[in-house]
Amino acid sequence: MALTFKDVAEILRIIDASNLEEVELEAQGIRVSVRRGSGTMPRKEGSVTTENAAKNEPSGENAESSPAGAVAANEGLAKPDSSDDSGGQGLEVRAPMVGTFYHAASPDKPPFVEVGQRVAIGDPLCLIEVMKLYTTIEASVEGVVHQVCVKNGDLVDFDALLFVILPD
Amino acid sequence: MTATRVDKPSVLIANRGEIALRAVEACRLLNIRSVAVFSTADRSMPHVMQADEAVCVGPPQSTKSYLNQDALLHVAQQRGCSFIYPGYGFLAENADFAERCAQMGLVFVGPSANAIRVMGDKARARRAAMEAGMPVVPGSTEAFSDLSSAQAEAGKIGYPLLLKASAGGGGRGMRVVEGAESFEAMFLQASTEAKEAFGNAEVYLERYFSRVRHIEVQIFGDRYNRVMHLGERDCTVQRRHQKLVEESPAVALTADERKKLHTWSVSLAEAVEYEGAGTVEFIFDEESREAFFIEMNTRIQVEHPVTEVRVGANLVAEQLRVAMGQALSLPEEKTWHAVHAIEFRINAEDPAAGFMPRPGTVAKWEVPTGSGIRMDTFASVGTAIPPFYDSMVGKLIIYDEARDQAIEKAQQVLDQIQIEGIPTSTPFHQALVGSLAFRENRIYTRWVEQEFLLSPQG
Repeated sequence: MALTFKDVAEILRIIDASNLEEVELEAQGIRVSVRRGSGTMPRKEGSVTTENAAKNEPSGENAESSPAGAVAANEGLAKPDSSDDSGGQGLEVRAPMVGTFYHAASPDKPPFVEVGQRVAIGDPLCLIEVMKLYTTIEASVEGVVHQVCVKNGDLVDFDALLFVILPD
Repeated sequence: MTATRVDKPSVLIANRGEIALRAVEACRLLNIRSVAVFSTADRSMPHVMQADEAVCVGPPQSTKSYLNQDALLHVAQQRGCSFIYPGYGFLAENADFAERCAQMGLVFVGPSANAIRVMGDKARARRAAMEAGMPVVPGSTEAFSDLSSAQAEAGKIGYPLLLKASAGGGGRGMRVVEGAESFEAMFLQASTEAKEAFGNAEVYLERYFSRVRHIEVQIFGDRYNRVMHLGERDCTVQRRHQKLVEESPAVALTADERKKLHTWSVSLAEAVEYEGAGTVEFIFDEESREAFFIEMNTRIQVEHPVTEVRVGANLVAEQLRVAMGQALSLPEEKTWHAVHAIEFRINAEDPAAGFMPRPGTVAKWEVPTGSGIRMDTFASVGTAIPPFYDSMVGKLIIYDEARDQAIEKAQQVLDQIQIEGIPTSTPFHQALVGSLAFRENRIYTRWVEQEFLLSPQG
């Protein structure tokens, strides 16, 4: 019996609710290894996005890159990502790692967030998967989701723009 | 979710700089799709621009980008790559990585994890070399992390001694011990450096030869048990165990002496069923005319172009062909070109300031072109050389019908090179090709430090 995405999400939820730093689970030839924070992103002190929020100054790279929604900019070109169209008002949420972007906890669940939705600090925004290791990206501010910049299932580059949130 | 579907073979290029660019070019030549990876520091590098696709895998620190195995393997899978090209440095000689690739059904472009493991372990490599019939440098058969047992062994081998990190390479964790009185200090330095650089404090002891040449043999194997050699290289011009200039052929050796090294090298590679490009390294004592095996590098090396121009082959493309299961298609010795090739490493270093690496932005990059001149580089006007990686910015390869002519040509080319914005090792090379000792080939591995830099005119 293979683990389903749902099983993995359930396991992650249980681990998340615990105080464990590291969990290794082995059953019927399947190994799941979860490390809290991957050593770089201390979750206790704040959400994964805290670090990126500091980089919210408009950068030359963003000003030059393709218009909003042009997700294909990740495809082969060196352009970092699609641009933030909030006119500098929004808080950019960027990918803390390269990996596969999931907008929901499982394929049969609704997305964590959609454009226009209100979020509170700590609300999950998406999951990024690298080699079966899932990291939850959480909101670091209260506000409204202004843009969702990537599609479910896309491979996102390190530092790619994922969301723009208009803080209150 | 779903991985990219592709209709032709795809290679993830897990490297940067000139070797990544060579790999992109080789992919184009062989009609293979190339997927480059890069750190945020390398966003506008040519290998990123010229590859069919490129993915940013992390921040500038290598451990989080070019050495981030999970990220690289995930990207390879998601982008539909079935091959991973490691180049040199980074993960090129990481047996665990090669093994993970294999477990995931990805082809690591290089030898098997087992061959990497055997040759990466100094004691096992020595045993394999002895079994292949070649002499090895007298030294300890085991590695030491404990001072007193190392001291006892040192007494048996005799001085001068060379301390080498068990897991090492590239000169780190190496120390020369001239006599028993400095053993303790040098051992602790080497051991500490080895621990920091490789996470393993164990150090080997070897007899140290003060006046030797560094000679190495390029070998190539395919998966049909065929191994051939592509001649040798003389890499005697070094500073602190870092190669600066490499030549082929090694004219300081007689044809018979060279042939002996070729035969030994092929035997060693055959013994580990070697696939892909590899190099067997020797020291050669000119006085006694003896050669000793030092190590085998299980990767393509920086200096492979001198071999390429001499034998008339593209070794990077051959690596990919062999990885795709093709039989060796390299030229036989009788068709090799009658040329002497010399490579000069152009590093972003200031020779006037103790070869201090100095990153910066290239403001001018003018290199003469012509027959017998080749420059392998990723740099051009505007290239920002990041401070995070190796300082090598280019490799100037000069070839002509014999060594004297190649040196003449090199002198002209080096005098005309104009690189501005960053200091480079070019002035060092200019002085080198002008020196009598280099021209007359009266050099040894410590010559640069012990004589040339003290009195460059000699």
